[in-house]
Amino acid sequence: MAARSSSDAESALFSGAEVEFLAEDDTVVMVPTLRMDTLHLICGDFGPFMPQVPTSVPLWLGIAMKKRGKCRLRAPEWMTVENLTQVLELERDSPQEFQPLPFHYVEVSRLLMDNARDDLVDVYMVQTLIEDIRNVRFHKVQSGLQNLSGKTHAVKLKNLAAMEVNLIRPFFVKALEKFYIHDDEELIKPTQSEADIQLASVDRLPRRVLRPR
Amino acid sequence: MANYYDLDDILTEEEYVNVHFRFEAAGLGVLDPGSEHDNIDAGANVEIPLWLAHDLCNRKFVSIKLPYFYNERVRKEIQADASCVDLGRWCPYFYELGLKLAPMSSDPTLGSFLLYCLQGRYKEMLCKSHTVALTTAPKFVTLLTQEEFQLFEAARDSMKAYNKWRFQGCRLERAAVLGRKRRHNALLSPFELS
Repeated sequence: MAARSSSDAESALFSGAEVEFLAEDDTVVMVPTLRMDTLHLICGDFGPFMPQVPTSVPLWLGIAMKKRGKCRLRAPEWMTVENLTQVLELERDSPQEFQPLPFHYVEVSRLLMDNARDDLVDVYMVQTLIEDIRNVRFHKVQSGLQNLSGKTHAVKLKNLAAMEVNLIRPFFVKALEKFYIHDDEELIKPTQSEADIQLASVDRLPRRVLRPR
Repeated sequence: MANYYDLDDILTEEEYVNVHFRFEAAGLGVLDPGSEHDNIDAGANVEIPLWLAHDLCNRKFVSIKLPYFYNERVRKEIQADASCVDLGRWCPYFYELGLKLAPMSSDPTLGSFLLYCLQGRYKEMLCKSHTVALTTAPKFVTLLTQEEFQLFEAARDSMKAYNKWRFQGCRLERAAVLGRKRRHNALLSPFELS
């Protein structure tokens, strides 16, 4: 019971802006328009910057320079219409698993579209595709998590992105806690046969993601 | 048993349950509105709050009768369609109360019934609470118990926060202190210069 009340604060661990802040550490390729020496930052050395020579820098640095008109940003390889169309198709085809996309794809695409819209090609198409992918994946999360039962103490969601995890975390942590409490109480008086069946299935499939009830 | 600082827990324990007195209880007549004298007779059925029933039950003075919303009829309704049953009206703390009653009552199926109920209703909530319109309070909210409503609220709030992040305009906010200070300086500087 004590654990329940303390987890209220934990369940809403990050706000959207905080996840975005974490995403800004991803690297992005930029083409500078100025000459500048190597930057020595805590996260590493970046540069030297020569006009028209692409270099990879953290996203926050790229955006800061873009805002001052000192560079052009290049969209990452995954942010092309062909690739995203393919990912969307694969997402739709496989209802059980998620396609590998960068961990911060929602935030990175949003940041690039907000700050470097003129550097991207097919902005509207890419934006729509990413929104679609996110919706398909979110629907998948929902349909997958429907099969929660009292025996589920953890679920494994491979390739799920930061923002998606952040989105379902508050609800899902609370739901798991409720299931845990109820299951714990029930263990006092299980009917023998039912308990045996369930234990056997747990042994057989110890790491199955979405366990059928 | 009680969690002293948990409001929900306190409210749960305020719920009345029907108990069956096994012995005559001297001086407890106040608890029974139908009693004609100061004592409660052996075999009387009295409604008392859960916190009292719990202690009395531990000492084997009384036996607990489950409230009507755990009976067979309700269980059938929940089997038919869990998410449509209006549990919130019967008891806002349906699950908590059930958990507290389960060790005391003689019914061994109560625990598994609660889990079954939670499972059935959880599925509906998972879909609905993440997709409902964010502005209006949807109709199904009135059917939820207090525990379920907390789940629903968590989901709704996280969706709200996400949408706010997604569609917000300018992200830079100037701290109130900064603006004031600058104006202050600007006002002061002519005097300093002169």
